[in-house]
Amino acid sequence: MPEHEPWLTALFNDHLAGVANAVLSMAGLKTMERPWSTSLSMEILVAAIIVVLFAILRSQLSMDRPGKLQHSFEVIYDFLHKQSEESVGHDGPKYLSLFGSIFIFVLFCNLIGIIPTFESPTMFPEVPAGLAMLVFCYYNLMGIVANGVGRYLAHFAGPIWWMAPLMIPIELVSHMARPLSLTIRLFANMYAGERVTVVFLGLTYIIAPAVFMGLHVFVSFLQAYIFALMTMMYVGSAVAHEH
Amino acid sequence: MNKKLFFVALALLIFASPIFAQTSGADEVKKWVAITSGFSMAIASGLCGLAQAKAVASSAEAMARNPGASAAIRFALLLGLVLIESLALYTLVIIFAKLP
Repeated sequence: MPEHEPWLTALFNDHLAGVANAVLSMAGLKTMERPWSTSLSMEILVAAIIVVLFAILRSQLSMDRPGKLQHSFEVIYDFLHKQSEESVGHDGPKYLSLFGSIFIFVLFCNLIGIIPTFESPTMFPEVPAGLAMLVFCYYNLMGIVANGVGRYLAHFAGPIWWMAPLMIPIELVSHMARPLSLTIRLFANMYAGERVTVVFLGLTYIIAPAVFMGLHVFVSFLQAYIFALMTMMYVGSAVAHEH
Repeated sequence: MNKKLFFVALALLIFASPIFAQTSGADEVKKWVAITSGFSMAIASGLCGLAQAKAVASSAEAMARNPGASAAIRFALLLGLVLIESLALYTLVIIFAKLP
C-alpha cells in the first residue's frame, strides 16, 4: 500500500537515491526506486541531532560556570552512573558509554515522533530489533571478555552440576527470549502509542488525542529507561564473578 | 447442584463437534481473526490490569509502612509495571502480525 512519505524521507529519496542504490548493489541486494525507508532517514536525523547537541555541549563545558545544558546532562550522567553501579556492580561505569548511548539514542528516537511531520524510528520493528541484537552481542561479548569463554559458558549449567541437563535448555531459551522481549517491548509501546493517538484523532479533536500524546511522551521516557536498565542487568549477570 | 450443571454443560459441548467440519481453505479461517483478536486482547488487557493493580496496591502499602524506602519501592514498582505491560503488548503484536 503506497502510503504518504514524510517529507524528510521524500527528501532523501529524491536526492540521495543513487547513493543508497550503490550501497545496495555493493551488498548484492536488489536496487529499488525509492530505497530510503522512513526508519532509516529518521534514524539519521536523530543521530545528526545527537551529534550536534553533544558538540554544542562539549564546546560549552565549564567547571566554574556550568550552564543549563551542562547541568541537565550532568543529571542524566549521574543517574546512569548510579544505576549502572547498582545493576552491574562496582565496575559498572566501565560500560557506561554503551548504556548512555543506548539511553540517549532510544530516548531521542522515541521523542522525535511527537513532532508533527516526523515518525519515531522505533515505531518500525527493524530499529528495536537492531538495538536488541546489538545488546545481545554486547553482553555475551562482555561476559566472555570478563570471565573467559569456558567459565562464561559454564554459567549456563547453573550452580549445581548434576542439574545441568535441565538448566542448560532453560538458560538457552531465556537467553534467546531476551532480545525478543527487548524488541517487542520497545516496538509495541511506540507503535501502540502512535496507533492510539491516531485512532482518537479520527474520533474527536484536541482533548483526547492530546491526553494520549502526553501519555506517549511519558511512555517514551519510561521505555528508553527500561531498555537501558535491561541492558545493564543483562551485562551485570553476564560479567558477574562468583566469589 | 452447580457441579452437576457444570458436567451437564460439558457433556452438551460434545454436540458442538460439527465445528470440526471445515469448509474451503484459508479464507474461512481469516474471517475469525477479527473476533479472536478482540477476545484475546481483552483477556490479555484484563489480566494485565489485575496484575498491575496487585503490584501497585502492595507497593503503595509498603511505601505507607516504610516511607524511607520509597525510592527503592518506586523503582521496583516501575520495573514490575513495565514488565507486566509488555506481556499484554505481546498479544497486541501478534494481532498486528496476524491481520490478513
